[in-house]
Amino acid sequence: MVKYFAKRFLIMLAALFLIALITFVIMHAVPGSPFTGEKKISPEIQAALEAKYNLDDPLPVQFLDYIRGLLHGDFGPSYKYTGKTVNDFIYNGFPVSAKLGLITIVFVLLTAIPMGIVAAVKTGRWQDMTIMAIATIGVTIPSFVIASLLIYVFAYRLNWLPTFGLDSWKGYVLPVVALGGYSMSYLARLMRSSLLEVMGQDYIRTARAKGLSETKVILRHAMRNALIPIVTVLGPTVAGLLTGSFVIEKIFAIPGLGVHFVNSVSQRDYTTIMGVTIFYAAFLLAMVFLVDIFYCLIDPRIKFE
Amino acid sequence: MDDFTKQTGGGELPCENPWGMLDADSRDMEKLSGRNRSFFSDVWFRFRRKPTAVAGLVMILVLVLFALLGPFFTKYSYSDQNLDLVNIPPLLPVFEAEDGSCYFYITQSLKVVTVNRDGTLDRQLTRLREDDKQKMIYFDYNGEEIVIFYGMQPYVIANPETRMIMERAKVWNRSYILGTDTLGRDILTRLMYGTRVSMLVAFIAVLVNLVIGIIYGGISGYAGGTADNIMMRIVDIISTIPLTLYVILIMVLLGSGLHSIIIAIGTVYWVDMARVVRGQVLTLKQQEFVIASRTIGSSTKTILTQHLIPNAMGSILVTVTMLIPSAIFMEAFLGYLGIGLQPPLASLGTMCNDATENLKSCPHQLFIPALVICMIMFAFNFVGDGLRDALDPKLKK
Repeated sequence: MVKYFAKRFLIMLAALFLIALITFVIMHAVPGSPFTGEKKISPEIQAALEAKYNLDDPLPVQFLDYIRGLLHGDFGPSYKYTGKTVNDFIYNGFPVSAKLGLITIVFVLLTAIPMGIVAAVKTGRWQDMTIMAIATIGVTIPSFVIASLLIYVFAYRLNWLPTFGLDSWKGYVLPVVALGGYSMSYLARLMRSSLLEVMGQDYIRTARAKGLSETKVILRHAMRNALIPIVTVLGPTVAGLLTGSFVIEKIFAIPGLGVHFVNSVSQRDYTTIMGVTIFYAAFLLAMVFLVDIFYCLIDPRIKFE
Repeated sequence: MDDFTKQTGGGELPCENPWGMLDADSRDMEKLSGRNRSFFSDVWFRFRRKPTAVAGLVMILVLVLFALLGPFFTKYSYSDQNLDLVNIPPLLPVFEAEDGSCYFYITQSLKVVTVNRDGTLDRQLTRLREDDKQKMIYFDYNGEEIVIFYGMQPYVIANPETRMIMERAKVWNRSYILGTDTLGRDILTRLMYGTRVSMLVAFIAVLVNLVIGIIYGGISGYAGGTADNIMMRIVDIISTIPLTLYVILIMVLLGSGLHSIIIAIGTVYWVDMARVVRGQVLTLKQQEFVIASRTIGSSTKTILTQHLIPNAMGSILVTVTMLIPSAIFMEAFLGYLGIGLQPPLASLGTMCNDATENLKSCPHQLFIPALVICMIMFAFNFVGDGLRDALDPKLKK
């Protein structure tokens, strides 16, 4: 198992290096220098700027410098906001995004698992139908549509919740629901099918034959195995929430990292795009890796080669 | 033997030797009755028994027709602006003229447009003067004066002599069936072009994925060994990268525009397809018919294209129909973030994005394209589910 994870770790590092390389190449393949803007600048200033940011070095040297910086946790300066570094953006934006993401994950798990259980226990009844209808809608409707709908109904029509700002718990309600809607629906469907599959197994019949109550059979016996597929998809779910937050942060005017990323894309702030991409990728890979370790720990039947 | 002669229909025996060959028509008699169903008619048979799948298919056909033929039936283009008629809703709140011949509609810029009784917008009335104290703006209507009174919300139209507010009414807008957007462009026309963009993105993405995915997965699965190992490690690494980030990066490199969206989606979405094809090829290549084909000396290319890929078509089709909604979603997502198509081009995502600013006053501008996105997503998901069930041999009855 240790060998398996060592191999996975190596693949992860290779992926990260590749991501850094690809982003670097893409960002340097973009036509025009990062300083070409509305204002024309003289060639001398341009040369001075390029020298300041070491842009006059050959590309491989620049890449090695960049990688060296990354290894020291330095993502470089922002080209568009003088005096600001990419680290500043990450430092300011990421905690906001992470808090929203964490609350969303908790919300998703707390809603999806009970929904899946109820749907599985009441298969074919109205409870199942309702939950599955909600879940189907949730996986097909894009998050920005859900977000706009929520804003229109709860903020403009009913005036219950604010449209932006995270000052009180009220501000979190709409972004969390909009961001988590897809994952909630997906996990509820998964929970239902996996619980149904487990409920058909022999050891459940044994548990019932022993005379255990249905609650105990489900919560103590069936759930243990039925939760495993949920753990497996937690990694991709985190990824989905992270990229989904680009649009949610934009709609709800949340000053997170996602909205910084989108802004830097439209402003063509190349170092910020690069830095944030690599940061996101590293974070995601680490999450998926952790989930895999966790997955292996909770299910002793899994033996990795 | 007598029975047999009866069956063949003739009085004579088919031939002298009772153990000899039978005529063709007498052999047909022994055929099992029932029409022989090909693979695809079998799939179609099971597919059409699922109402949601058929509904999805019909919905897709309707949307394709809407996107392709729709623009021929509208008199506007997607970029025609009419700044006098911005943010007009589908259901017009109007005031009925006293003679009852037409209605008056107050535009956002405080002008009066006459609306015919059938709901078409007619002409703009000439503005005569404004009375600040009375909070009235005077307009000329066929020589008579009418006023907009803006002392109360919402504004009303009145007769300045009798000071009576004209009768309110609601009429469906026939000139702009779904209303206009913030620049006075016809939403229905833009919707047609937007759907067209979504469909185009989806189909080109699918095409690219099919080609790259099938070739890559087919080679990897069929070659096996080191080649397979290296090719799959590459796929592993690519699939650890969040696709959204990569699509955005490629958009930065290529600039905004339809071609960049298609290239971006095409270059990163083939990974799943490659995995599916490889898995199928790996299991199929062990089967007897492949070994038989190899024994008679078929080339690798023939085995791949004639035997392996057609047999893997089922899973490939399912993967494709599941991929279409995610490609469409990605285009809408990019459009919504403002890094997709550039104005005045319309896509469903950019239409939603343009409409967010005045969500409060004109929610229809956002909900109409959003509804179309949802319809597309529903349709393809339903068709995908239906196809998966229809192609699953375990469910065959």
